[in-house]
Amino acid sequence: MRAKIIRKEDIAGLLESLMGEYEMFAPVKSDGLVLFERISSASEVFLDYQNSLMPPKQLTFPQAETLFSYSSAKGEVKIEVPHREEKPQLIFGIRPCDASSFVVLDRVFDGEQYKDPYYLQRREKTITVSMGCVKPRITCFCTSVGGGPFSTEGSDLLLIDIGDRYVAQIVSDKGAQLLEKRGFRDATEGELALAAAVIEAAVASMGPGVETDGLKDKLDSRFDDSIWQRLSEKCLGCGVCTFLCPTCHCFDIVDEAVDSKGERIRIWDSCQFPLFTLQASGLNPRPTVKERFRQRMMHKFSYFVDNYSRVGCVGCGRCITECPVNLDLRQVLNSVSRLEGVK
Amino acid sequence: MPELTDKIREVARSLLRQQKVDLIIGFERGTMPLRSAPCFVRREEDVDRLIWDSFCENNLAKYLVKRAERVAIVGKGCDVRAVVELIKENQISREQVFIIGVPCQGMVDRRRVEAKLDGREILEVRETGGELALKGDGFSEIVNRDEFLYPCCKSCTHRNPVISDVLVADAAAELDCDSHVDVAEFEARSAGERGEYLSREFSKCVRCYACRNACPLCYCQECFVDSSWPQWVGKTTNASDVVVFHIMRAFHLAGRCVDCGACERACPMGVDIRRLNRKLVKDVKARFDYEAGLSLEQAAPLSTFRPDDPEEFMLNP
Amino acid sequence: MKNPYLPVPMRIERVVVETEDNNVKTFSLSFLNKEDEGSFTYTPGQFAELSALGKGEAPFGMASSPTQPWCLEFTVNKAGVVTTALHNMEVGGILGVRGPLGNGYPIEALKGRDIVMIGGGFGFSTLRALTNFVLDDANRRSFGDITVIYGARSPGLLLYKDELEEWQKRTDFHLYLTVDVGDEEWTGRVGVVPKVTREVGPSSENAYVVICGPPVMTKFTLPVIKELGFPPDRTLLSLEMRMKCGVGMCGRCNIGSKYVCRDGPVFKLAELNQLPQEY
Repeated sequence: MRAKIIRKEDIAGLLESLMGEYEMFAPVKSDGLVLFERISSASEVFLDYQNSLMPPKQLTFPQAETLFSYSSAKGEVKIEVPHREEKPQLIFGIRPCDASSFVVLDRVFDGEQYKDPYYLQRREKTITVSMGCVKPRITCFCTSVGGGPFSTEGSDLLLIDIGDRYVAQIVSDKGAQLLEKRGFRDATEGELALAAAVIEAAVASMGPGVETDGLKDKLDSRFDDSIWQRLSEKCLGCGVCTFLCPTCHCFDIVDEAVDSKGERIRIWDSCQFPLFTLQASGLNPRPTVKERFRQRMMHKFSYFVDNYSRVGCVGCGRCITECPVNLDLRQVLNSVSRLEGVK
Repeated sequence: MPELTDKIREVARSLLRQQKVDLIIGFERGTMPLRSAPCFVRREEDVDRLIWDSFCENNLAKYLVKRAERVAIVGKGCDVRAVVELIKENQISREQVFIIGVPCQGMVDRRRVEAKLDGREILEVRETGGELALKGDGFSEIVNRDEFLYPCCKSCTHRNPVISDVLVADAAAELDCDSHVDVAEFEARSAGERGEYLSREFSKCVRCYACRNACPLCYCQECFVDSSWPQWVGKTTNASDVVVFHIMRAFHLAGRCVDCGACERACPMGVDIRRLNRKLVKDVKARFDYEAGLSLEQAAPLSTFRPDDPEEFMLNP
Repeated sequence: MKNPYLPVPMRIERVVVETEDNNVKTFSLSFLNKEDEGSFTYTPGQFAELSALGKGEAPFGMASSPTQPWCLEFTVNKAGVVTTALHNMEVGGILGVRGPLGNGYPIEALKGRDIVMIGGGFGFSTLRALTNFVLDDANRRSFGDITVIYGARSPGLLLYKDELEEWQKRTDFHLYLTVDVGDEEWTGRVGVVPKVTREVGPSSENAYVVICGPPVMTKFTLPVIKELGFPPDRTLLSLEMRMKCGVGMCGRCNIGSKYVCRDGPVFKLAELNQLPQEY
């Protein structure tokens, strides 16, 4: 791998020097929660964390986004798309799972036939400096879904913590440019070996996760199985799993207006909400929690595979840690796989 | 609490064996340390999944609404109060519910325990007496359970189920405290201070509706938020829409909220949701001398008209 | 990059109340900006999202055929916020249109074949478009025998009554109209669409059947179609779902891995049989 060495005490300086050029986002501890927020000083960065509560997906796909504003007068309608700020954004300290979630979202928003300019404009000006996970959580299962604690997918630079310094793996040209002309030396063979050992240990420490062997086919063939009723019984039907999920992308479009002026706004929506598929006729193809819960599992682990040739989950585990009733997706998928466990 | 676990299992087994109920809703071990999760038991062989510990934090009354079967519910003080309100609101009949009452010692706030450990991941927890033995990678610590109870448990004056068909332990000592002292303190702040605090709290809200969905008394087929005609409140994260949503939900729960804290626990963003609900709990107590869920016979004040209801807001606006 | 969320303004040129309960209206629209016309080439079966700005958007199948001299028509049933706002608009009003969206009926595959169209209720609007398309002088010879079976709950609820009268005079296709329940003036057929389909018994040889109507009608018509020998890959259904983005991104209109807005709304029955039966 191409890699430079950045000593830990030099990180602040590097960030400060980049702050003029980039809008910088990093994990920040706010009211006891770790969230990705815009920082104006390197001292705000909080790196003693396993993962942020909210994924940084809102940096390319915000909770609320004005699609356009309009005004209508007699016989005329003016539609205006909001002007986008031009400064590129640097997301520092993002975890490999969240970095690869951008690649997953790209499949949705950068389609062959239709492209979403709002997402893509933000995405194109985003650069990621990821922090590999030396100590994955027990709820992490990135290795089950094609990722890993030091996976480089979606990262421009990947930092590997080898003690008092980082081995900064250069993944893309954008990443290389960040470190250019700043006097960082190349990593030595010894340092690279240390990095490899850290990575190996991290991967080995990960739990069993989800059994993905033949999972899609099993989900497809067990769609009508009565097990879904039992598995979803404790689900509250709230939106926590979907809102905290880095790859969930469902949204609603609402108009807000006062007289003849208004805005069309896109907001996060959730397939778990009862109104999600309710038709004006009153028919709802997913009338109960069971259908809606099943939809989420099928979408991420089957339909997404059909449409985009990859699983729509990065294994970050937020849905597991934050679910109010501890509905554990690993348990659900393994139960369907083995068709046992919950009767 | 192994004794309680055993007793709950014993009751559950007997109920199923005698076919007195079709379903038992209780708790089982979660998939992570510090978590226990709702559990639905229909067969005798599954009874041993049931447990009781300091992490049985969910309000299981949520799962009772409009059930057709006969169901037994493992309920702590607050859960049973919610059941009482649900019965009064005709969401389930008294005959259908078999209440396995658990005098509660309060539930442990897992997030505060995690915060105490400053980011070190807890891999194992063992509960003995009043202590939690926490173990992780390269560390082990003991914390006093009572120091880490949820705020709603710390000020709870109804630890014992107000009604039950069986009690699995002796009555717990009720706390002797003014359970509204925090509300009075907040009321005493200036309007500006209160506004600023609430704005800051609700700016964290992402409109996931976990609070609403975790609440046993929020069971409307169509929540007012989802009404588009008329549209009562906007669905975006616009600051005033968010506050209006929470205020309206709090008002819909006035006289019905049992302050179980399920909303606050479900919120992933740590919003201080109960701040609004507790104000209304205090006001309802002061104006109507009523606390939700204490008695099946006591009529709910906001859905009952009495000629002597307070009316000074109409007469002296 | 084309922004798929931006509607173009269109002016209401004509409003026709289609049903006696006033709940269904057909709007004929023209583009405010002539340059938008060129980019709006469509096939029958496709749909567009109509905006009542300030209220929202809703999807409607194109009721007009691209062979008709320039006009875009949509038939709107008043059912909720957006449709009520549209119904309250008059000639001269401006609404937004996003489209054409969806896949439309597979015209190339239908060429050289007989076509049987079965429509019920408001579902008939895209079949009306398809009928006008295949009957157009420039197209008629490309298709074989055309049979149209169209039913409404009562005579007053039939759409496009003037056009139906004109069609009944034609000899280049077979039209069967029916109502579930007649009235004093109705002298035509009475019977639900599945029953009438069985009575008419169209031949399935070298033929496609295209069905568009309420779920209950479709449910009872499919067995008849099967009996008549139409194979699943020559049975086409046009479906509807709650939609928002119309371009396969907001995630809500899916049946299994297919998005009704992007991979549909027209599906072969063979395709639908492979999907979870959740629609």
